[in-house]
Amino acid sequence: MPDIRKIKRKLKKAGFGSIEVSEKLGGVWLRGELDEYEQILECGRLAVDKKTSRGVINDIRLKGYIPAPMRIPSLRDNLYEGRTPDVLVVGGGIVGCAIARELSRYDINVMLAEKEYDIATGQSARNDGMIHAGIDLKPDSIKVKYNMRGNKLYDTLSKELDVPVRKVGQYVLLTKKWHKLLYPVVVLRARKNNIPIRYVCQKELDRKIPKIGYRHGAMFFAGAGIVSPYLMCIALAENAVQNGAEICLNTAVTGIEHKDGRILSVATNRGTIYPKVVVNAAGVFSDVIAEQAGDRHFTIHPRKGVEAILDKKASRITDSVIGRFAMKSSTGKQHTKGGGIVRTIDGNILIGPSAVETPEREDESTTCESLDEVLVKQQGLTGELTRSDIITYFAGTRAATYEEEFIVEKSPVIQNLVQAAGIQSPGITAAPAIAEDIAKFCTEILSETKKIEKKKDFNPIRKGIPCVRELPIEERAALIKKNPDYGVIVCRCEEISKGEILDAIRSPIPATTLDAIKRRVRAGMGRCQGGFCSPVITRMIAEETGVGLLHVTKKGEGSELLTSYTKEVANDNL
Amino acid sequence: MTIYKAAVIGGGPAGLAAALAASKGGKVLLIEREARLGGILKQCVHDGFGVIRFGEKLSGCEYAQRFIDEVRSNKEIDIRLLTYVIGIKKNKTFHITATSSSGIETYEAENLILANGCRERTARQVNIHGTRPAGVMTAGVAQNFVNLLGVLPGKRCVILGSGDIGLIMARRLTLEGAEVLGVYEAKNTPSGLTRNISQCLNDFNIPLHLSATVKRVFGNKRVEAVEICKVTEKMEYIRGTEEILPCDTLIVSVGLIPENELAESLSVEIDPRTRGPVVDQNMQTMQDGVYSVGNALHVHDLVDYVSETAETAGKALLQPAAPRELVKVDAKGFLYLVPQRLDLASIKDSTVFYFRTAVPRKAATLTVRANGQTIYARNYTNLKPPEMEKISIPLKPRTGEKLEFILSDKEV
Repeated sequence: MPDIRKIKRKLKKAGFGSIEVSEKLGGVWLRGELDEYEQILECGRLAVDKKTSRGVINDIRLKGYIPAPMRIPSLRDNLYEGRTPDVLVVGGGIVGCAIARELSRYDINVMLAEKEYDIATGQSARNDGMIHAGIDLKPDSIKVKYNMRGNKLYDTLSKELDVPVRKVGQYVLLTKKWHKLLYPVVVLRARKNNIPIRYVCQKELDRKIPKIGYRHGAMFFAGAGIVSPYLMCIALAENAVQNGAEICLNTAVTGIEHKDGRILSVATNRGTIYPKVVVNAAGVFSDVIAEQAGDRHFTIHPRKGVEAILDKKASRITDSVIGRFAMKSSTGKQHTKGGGIVRTIDGNILIGPSAVETPEREDESTTCESLDEVLVKQQGLTGELTRSDIITYFAGTRAATYEEEFIVEKSPVIQNLVQAAGIQSPGITAAPAIAEDIAKFCTEILSETKKIEKKKDFNPIRKGIPCVRELPIEERAALIKKNPDYGVIVCRCEEISKGEILDAIRSPIPATTLDAIKRRVRAGMGRCQGGFCSPVITRMIAEETGVGLLHVTKKGEGSELLTSYTKEVANDNL
Repeated sequence: MTIYKAAVIGGGPAGLAAALAASKGGKVLLIEREARLGGILKQCVHDGFGVIRFGEKLSGCEYAQRFIDEVRSNKEIDIRLLTYVIGIKKNKTFHITATSSSGIETYEAENLILANGCRERTARQVNIHGTRPAGVMTAGVAQNFVNLLGVLPGKRCVILGSGDIGLIMARRLTLEGAEVLGVYEAKNTPSGLTRNISQCLNDFNIPLHLSATVKRVFGNKRVEAVEICKVTEKMEYIRGTEEILPCDTLIVSVGLIPENELAESLSVEIDPRTRGPVVDQNMQTMQDGVYSVGNALHVHDLVDYVSETAETAGKALLQPAAPRELVKVDAKGFLYLVPQRLDLASIKDSTVFYFRTAVPRKAATLTVRANGQTIYARNYTNLKPPEMEKISIPLKPRTGEKLEFILSDKEV
């Protein structure tokens, strides 16, 4: 049990005497009202007690501020009414999708509810795609445990799911001369988790990285890698679908009914579902789902990160990942490595992310200032980064808890609730390992009432859409012979063929929006950002799905690309 | 296998004209990635094309069709549609590998004419922030939707950038029943042709706001509003001038970028000012046998000149190939000057130059100096960066001579 009086004293000393502190579900519950968001965060951080408390439940309100409600699709139908799956996974990010795939190994019914128009639209698509070596994580943390296991699992996943993964390694530049003295300490830390490490002298660095900003050498972690995080997420989900799992898009959980420590039903905009087990993998909304399910013992305080993508011409900067060495700040406010430079699996240079606390869970907007901050900061690593090479930028919100730790647990309060919450960096790396444990928890709960067996015909192999640009000429020619559509290029910047786009539209989780196609085959992700191909793809979607041009969207309902036929408008005005 | 006299990459106005001119010297291969020839002219249903070349006002489609008809009936020209070049290698000749529905094929040609055109700068490339909803697009995409697909991309539109396509689209959208709330231009002078300001905006009472730009976009799924902000001459936002303008569409017309990815793969030298290759008066790049024409060379305002540069290149191929003797042309006071080199071995009595002034000039003098001596001068009135000038100058430079072109305000 947390020591409430001690935390109360701590808060009072920091000037937050007005805050009410009590115990709830084994955690520390904070209530009250403050003028500044930063003050609320400060209280949350002060209330952390990892030894005796399950977490901080920070319900301090920000004066005069009403947070935007969760975006929920306007769609209302009863498609899933009365369904009784063995497991309902809430959230279609990489954690939820990896869990769905793990569960699809068993002879059980699995449903996954995702409120958006596609899987991988949140933080799983809005990160740098790095497979972490694990050196920046506390050696005995939950994060590092899942990171190290996840890192290893990526090699198998890459082969099974036909998603490219490259272990390119990461340079961590020493920014001060005395950092070199710390090298033996880092080596010790690395050894604890079997992280390969090597010192790289400045001479070698100068050959590797042009116009490098620091002169004190670097540490190299060969275990770091890169992956397309959204493609991996999609592949996991597709493989789950192949093996019988059901992905329910545009399906938002609106309420959970629980009684006597058991979840009875889950209300969605598409009907009420009666699952035997509920998995909370709701990312930035995981505390909202936990509250509905009856076991919110933590708080998500979204942390926004801005990242920029550079033209492939800038890929000369690096063929791996570059970051800078940072000492963890004593106040504990510093929860990012400060971003870095990544050459993505697709050959672009990506810079960022930044880290800004925000009360808005779904605020994915950027500002000039936030982009400038990222650019200027990373220009410190190499003078070769220029603004004119930036082709696009985006932001995402990470699901941080005050404990800055993953929650991977069978709820001790609600018998049929399993949580994978507070998953932020290194969530992409950790997801496959988290999924293994979560699936185990689910089968344990299900085993109480029936015998759970592995599927005999589980197929771990998923075939991806061929990437014609990457194929050797002979293979490419052979493919075109089989299907001439692979010969016709639609997206000229990324050299994506009509065949690949049609494959995406016809894939197991059909991509029927511009953005969904983009994430699967990269059409529209090049330097012209869809300038040439978007009208062509719009037409292809309309023809292939039979919906009519006016119903084609960028990212689901409400984001229609076109408003009317031209002559219609003219007639209306007559 | 046929060894073509020239392979032309791109079947827009530049490629069509180049292919026709080059066909007088032998077999020509014309490669186009789209299903139809004509390039961006296919979606230019407005008029004003061909005034210089044909002495009449044509639509873009009509202008292109005149060339397409000729190309189609020309037996020397082989056309490959829906064909995309994936690589070019140079040995003695050029080996062009291309993909299409019939497979991967390699063609061989003595010369290469790059007529790849240009692409549009995007909203993200001019630092527009906020959300990423549907309804933000370039003017060319909007034009494609309206003119080729027959659909309107929005009902209440804001246009950023007073480039010609933006102006044309302001009129086009208005005619199709959409409301154009205004055209915003960050610079303090319009970027498009004067005639377009008059015919596309003034005639339709569409306001033009100079020194104002779009800073942010609002709306999660579809554009709901944009934030307008005044800017200084140095393009800095002026605080306190922000204004939220509700709309459902943001169309950006903020400049064109020559497409030179193929040229770069052949190590062709690029002029940072034109963003196209450095060429001699025959439009031959610094790589022997590689020519660059049309908007891939530099962005033109009028298609008539696009056809002209293309023909220059095509015709040059008819001359027997001789080793070049290149002289650099120094340019001062210009936004750019093309050609950037002169080949003394093939120079004619007079040489055509295309240029844009770096800044607006009411009265200006163009001076040509050879080794510091003025050898040519001409006066201009009302030079503006958006309006390209063409001039033919009699030049006979000698080997080793220092050639300078200076554009300066005329001394009163």
